[in-house]
Amino acid sequence: MSIPVKDDEIDIVIGALHADLTSFMNAWRPIFTRFHLIIVKDPDLKEELRIPEGFNLDVYKKPDIDHVVGTSTSIIFSGYSCRYFGYLVSRKKYIVSVDDDCLPAKDNKGFLVDAVAQHITNLTTPATPFFFNTLYDPFTEGADFVRGYPFSLRSGVTCALSCGLWHNLADYDAPTQALKPEERNSRYVDAVLTVPAKTLMPISGINIAFNRDAVGPALLPCLRLAGEGKFRWETMEDIWSGMCVKVICDHLGLGVKTGLPYVWRNDRGDAIASLRKEWEGVKMMEEVVPFFQLVRLPQEATTAEDCVVEVANAVKEKLGPKDPMFARTAKAMLDWVKLWKSVGVSSYSPGA
Amino acid sequence: MVEPATATQAAAPAVAQLKDELDIVIPTIRNLDFLEMWRPFFQPYHLIIVQDGDPSKTIKVPDGFDYELYNRNDINRILGPKASCISFKDSACRCFGYMVSKKKYIFTIDDDCFVAKDPSGKAINALEQHIKNLLSPSTPFFFNTLYDPYREGADFVRGYPFSLREGVPTAVSHGLWLNIPDYDAPTQLVKPLERNTRFVDAVLTIPKGTLFPMCGMNLAFDRELIGPAMYFGLMGDGQPIGRYDDMWAGWCMKVICDHLGLGVKTGLPYIYHSKASNPFVNLRKEYKGIYWQEEIIPFFQQAVLPKECTSVQKCYIELAKQVKEKLSKVDPYFDKLAEAMVTWIEAWDELNPTAAAVPDGKAK
Repeated sequence: MSIPVKDDEIDIVIGALHADLTSFMNAWRPIFTRFHLIIVKDPDLKEELRIPEGFNLDVYKKPDIDHVVGTSTSIIFSGYSCRYFGYLVSRKKYIVSVDDDCLPAKDNKGFLVDAVAQHITNLTTPATPFFFNTLYDPFTEGADFVRGYPFSLRSGVTCALSCGLWHNLADYDAPTQALKPEERNSRYVDAVLTVPAKTLMPISGINIAFNRDAVGPALLPCLRLAGEGKFRWETMEDIWSGMCVKVICDHLGLGVKTGLPYVWRNDRGDAIASLRKEWEGVKMMEEVVPFFQLVRLPQEATTAEDCVVEVANAVKEKLGPKDPMFARTAKAMLDWVKLWKSVGVSSYSPGA
Repeated sequence: MVEPATATQAAAPAVAQLKDELDIVIPTIRNLDFLEMWRPFFQPYHLIIVQDGDPSKTIKVPDGFDYELYNRNDINRILGPKASCISFKDSACRCFGYMVSKKKYIFTIDDDCFVAKDPSGKAINALEQHIKNLLSPSTPFFFNTLYDPYREGADFVRGYPFSLREGVPTAVSHGLWLNIPDYDAPTQLVKPLERNTRFVDAVLTIPKGTLFPMCGMNLAFDRELIGPAMYFGLMGDGQPIGRYDDMWAGWCMKVICDHLGLGVKTGLPYIYHSKASNPFVNLRKEYKGIYWQEEIIPFFQQAVLPKECTSVQKCYIELAKQVKEKLSKVDPYFDKLAEAMVTWIEAWDELNPTAAAVPDGKAK
């Protein structure tokens, strides 16, 4: 049932927040070598990147980003947002992206998980957002639609986004991390499932893949917390981006899957120290969730770009008055669409 | 290859939770031999056996179980003319057991379901897991990517709004099946050898606004929260359709739970389903359902219950009204079904009077 995909239709995009990528790249080598990689260096990182040999890759650094984007935009590609530059300049149909502090995980039989292969399987088999299948992904081998699942809904829709999970350090916020400092996620849940239409969820950027042709511009680096930092629990950029993507996928009739694959996320950081910064993000979700639950996009919005513009306008109107951060976000979203239309679709290669 | 568990005694809990607050409802037409295997888990609980088919047959219940048994004669005697709403020659008759129970919780299981093993080989106490599911909140308003956040070893992920972390009461716990999966007849015919061997170690809340196919083989619910919505419809003898009893109950139940802010969980526990029913027989029972479904699903997806429906019974009567209005044109069967839905509520209220309505004047 799945669409055959060639290796050269896939880009692996890594945002480098650490300079030394040697052990990261070597751990992923068996899985990554066959693909083209885009590595985007966090513009705030001062040291030189250390990348081992033997990969087919392009590296983008601050000068490249400045050259392409210039000063005409309000978008800031620093920290975790640097990866979006990679999404922008990629010309492939599928993108797989993992944080640079994640390694391949092991499955419940002890085998190394090929996260790329699983993400691609998720993206090339249909999603089923209109009715919940109790045996999870019906297109997985050994599973199917259960009794009572309407036949007219069994062909499914295109899956535009695949959200993976994390072993060891799960993607918890700072308060939860601080409360349970010893908790590590060791449970292997052997399932992929479609998140139903109209259901919202926190989409983590740590381990995701998407169909760039279908939803590229909907993944956006537009919300920056005032105290945004270099640990995931000091950011909300991916959560914001994820809410936009989900609403847009629901509107366009595209699917979002969650579950496998797992990656292994390294321990780092001190959640308690981050607590002061993180409260901003926690408060923000309280405003943001009701907004996304109610936002409706017009029928005329038939592309991801159009949808982003509509969401941006709604953000400006409804959330802008509550906090200047949202007004900035709305502007950044419009800037992002402009950038996508000029850079995201024409050809570009990194400056010599 | 997946197999049922044999060493169940070892897995029996020291204390049987909710043993005076939960009834186990089992529909049967053959025998109850399967109970032997469940004994360490089930014996502390009261059983309600609903005997379908020929009432003159004696169903032997294994020794040591505390039970009440109802056959068709009992159902007719207790409900009188209202007995017409209870199906005959179909496991849908089990809902009679829900109605006569006096307990807060119900667990229902089919007589071809045995104890399953988890990946470590340990016997799964399905009842214990259902109880855990029912006693912890659900989270229907926002999806948690690490599944049930109240399970040990899990929590709410980053970005999950704090104001939604208390969750809502759980009304239904829907379990799954290893070995013979719950497929419809066409799928069974195409894949007769497929067995479900995948153990998915998750419980999750089915989001608000999303429907699902509810299977009655391995199901538990809070009778006080949602009982009257668990009517398994008119199936079997004299009816044009079969194998849609639990589906019908599930769609009504979900619409009502969504309206009342109650939660529905699915996933663990697994049971081991041993019998594959005959797919040709199933096809004959299901076939009308397969194309009626195409009308039924949009009906439930679009059903709106007015604000004034503040109790399960009121919601259900309203749904019955809408079924009559909108689905009768699909087939006159739905007219009958809508009436049976009302009869069910009347019978439920008669057998389950509230304190104010108790005829002898004593508070319940």
